[in-house]
Amino acid sequence: MNIAFRPFEEKKANKLDSTRIAGKLVNDYWEMVWRAKDEGKLVCWYEGSAINPFLEAADICWVHGEAYSAMLAARHQEGTAQRVAEERGYLRELCSYARTHLGCAVSNQRLRGDNAGAAPDEDDLTWKLPAPDMIISAYAYCSTGQQWDEMTSRVFGKKVPIFNVSIPWIWGAKPDAGYLRGEEWEETSDYVARQLRDMVKFIEERTGKPYPWDRLYALMADIRRASELRLEAMELCTAQPAPASFFDWVVSIAPINNLPVPGVKQYFETVLEEVKQRVRDGEGTVPDEKYRLFFDGIMNWNKVGWLANKFARWDAAVVAGRYTHMAFWQEPGLIDPNDPVRGMAQNYLICPNNHAAPILIELIMGLCRKFKVDGMVIHASRTCRAFTNPQFMIAEAAHKRLGIPTSMFEGDVTDESFYKDELLNSRVEAMLEAIEARRMVAA
Amino acid sequence: MQRFAAAAHDPLGYAKAWKERTGRKVIGSFPMNFPGELAHAADTLPMILQESEDPITLGHGLLFPFYCGYTRSMVDQAVRGDFGVLDAIMFGDHCVQLLGAADAIRMQLPDTRVIFFQLISSMCDPWTQGRSEESFSKLKAELEDFTGAPVADAALHASIRLFNRNRGLIRRLYQMRKTGAAPLGSVEMQHVVKSSMVMDKAEHTQLLEALIEQVENAPAAAARTVRLHLSGHFCQAPKPEVLTMIEECGVTVVGDDLYHGFRYISTDVPEEGDPIQGLARWYLDRNTGVPCPTRVQNNVDWDAYLLNAIREERAQGMIVLMAKFCEPHMYYYPEVKEAFEKAGVPHLLIETEHESMALESLKTRVETFVEVVKHRQAA
Repeated sequence: MNIAFRPFEEKKANKLDSTRIAGKLVNDYWEMVWRAKDEGKLVCWYEGSAINPFLEAADICWVHGEAYSAMLAARHQEGTAQRVAEERGYLRELCSYARTHLGCAVSNQRLRGDNAGAAPDEDDLTWKLPAPDMIISAYAYCSTGQQWDEMTSRVFGKKVPIFNVSIPWIWGAKPDAGYLRGEEWEETSDYVARQLRDMVKFIEERTGKPYPWDRLYALMADIRRASELRLEAMELCTAQPAPASFFDWVVSIAPINNLPVPGVKQYFETVLEEVKQRVRDGEGTVPDEKYRLFFDGIMNWNKVGWLANKFARWDAAVVAGRYTHMAFWQEPGLIDPNDPVRGMAQNYLICPNNHAAPILIELIMGLCRKFKVDGMVIHASRTCRAFTNPQFMIAEAAHKRLGIPTSMFEGDVTDESFYKDELLNSRVEAMLEAIEARRMVAA
Repeated sequence: MQRFAAAAHDPLGYAKAWKERTGRKVIGSFPMNFPGELAHAADTLPMILQESEDPITLGHGLLFPFYCGYTRSMVDQAVRGDFGVLDAIMFGDHCVQLLGAADAIRMQLPDTRVIFFQLISSMCDPWTQGRSEESFSKLKAELEDFTGAPVADAALHASIRLFNRNRGLIRRLYQMRKTGAAPLGSVEMQHVVKSSMVMDKAEHTQLLEALIEQVENAPAAAARTVRLHLSGHFCQAPKPEVLTMIEECGVTVVGDDLYHGFRYISTDVPEEGDPIQGLARWYLDRNTGVPCPTRVQNNVDWDAYLLNAIREERAQGMIVLMAKFCEPHMYYYPEVKEAFEKAGVPHLLIETEHESMALESLKTRVETFVEVVKHRQAA
């Protein structure tokens, strides 16, 4: 049957039940953030790399910019922040994570800062972020991160102390270069680790207390374990049908990346148990798995559930992705809980973009083989060039090395106006047709 | 001026002719912080790779259309085989779009050496000078490996002196332009600066000396009605037709901070001491001299620099030329906008594109802006 004309059945994604816990953890975390000033806590804003354990150990409330923008988009409450940002002059082609978060900063300043005057709307999450007492910039690969932090500092009148950690890109041109190896890897690991130790001195200056290293060690031991559990659960999705999808792992990003560490290990224990049970029961993440796909690109946060259900209706299990499977404490083995700083630096260096294309593509091809995918869907996110940079090369490698079709669609991280639903429909349907045709030929 | 214009118009053609004439290597570099002095001291021709005037064709298959014109054009030229004259390509800045272009170019040109030396972009950290020295040292080592010969300090000092001389002469033209003594329009100024990015520095300097003598003896420029500063446009040169259109609206451009303008020649390298330390010092000094939104430096303000430049140039307003999709510029623009509004200095934002622009519609906007400036002055 021609799948393009097959009537859409009302199939839905079979989401992991345990990911509901993530929703509660996320809500609890933001409630804690919104209360932070009332509780007399120092607040640090940061983006990119997961430096939150450094802050959590020092009892500093941490606000991850992307996470706030993603949360607003997931709740469809990003519009006000984006409008405020545009009013100040931030153009629409600017990273929408940054644009949304800067909109929050501008709103915060207007309503509570130097230019206070208007009465804040209690229901509007745009203004609710507590203003920062410090900013730490530690952004891998994308130049936008450092500039975003700098502009945030300027929105707050440069009164907020800022600390920059420079994380070099791994170019990998030397003969010994490769994933987690070579002189360049070792040198950049040392360089970032040195800066992280200086960052700790900056934190000590802000808190006025000696840094509680023991607390960091304990947190990192938990994160290491949580990461191992997460990776084990992901690995089980090589099973057919796949017990969980890329979208479940998207929902699980916040717990591993920016939520308070206590609770995270337990969350992934629960997730792992459920995934194991599904494997035992032969229960899939989509009701009728006929296709297995890889997702390249960052998430379209306004569309997580929408896309999960859409692919389920196509009987397509999106089993792995660059965003979820190549980031977020991805190499727990590098973290020595008794001396974690260098391993933390190394995990920051392996964000899903921070290796040059040849290394990155090799890793992606490996994932595609491991998860036995039939095709690749590529999200060309309009304002996230960090993710779109290598996508044509990734598509070409998928065709040439794996012989699988790919399909690109346009969207964005948090600006819904860039999402083109009909393009996605027609292109993915065409790709699934191609997969069907190949199967028929092979049969 | 014709020779400057010819090199600016066809940089790769100039490089090809130079290579045939000298038999030496040509090294193309990405903007904006490549120390050409190092490659010059290594007995090669350093040239800053320029956005092509051609429409993007094959490059569409490697970079999305929502990238700046410069990166798309670089990739397009690489895919089309236009970079055959280059023996090596170097880049050191970490603008996310440039990184994408670098990866694509390396994959497209497997036989061309593509060297990356990452410059720290956080400019006021205790380790910025040291890290910059490390980056320039690595670059020097790569160059030595590439050419197969060491770069002696004496040769590097000589190149630094030559480059400083060249920059100093162009700054003289800028000074004369400010006072109205140089009858050079914006397109001509661009030809001078852009060709300096491309041509053999000694040859360019010689031509520049002749030009300055000629300009000094020429009658003063005819004063137009409104004096403006042009700001922005980092990696790529604004299209000459845009500059001409602006001036045809009754504008005298009395200063700029364009990369293909004052930004490129603003700062000299110290001529004494360790040359690598000197280059690192130059890298830092450039950003305090003419702040750049591609760097972060909390104790330096581009908006304040611009307002000060406008006072010094006795400009009545500013036109901001923003290359579409240029993220650093998009980040900083609201700061400039607010500062100018607060200071009561009029400015106009124009987004430029690699592809052809609706010049007539832009002209209407510039004409309106010129009228606004005149009214402000009269009020």
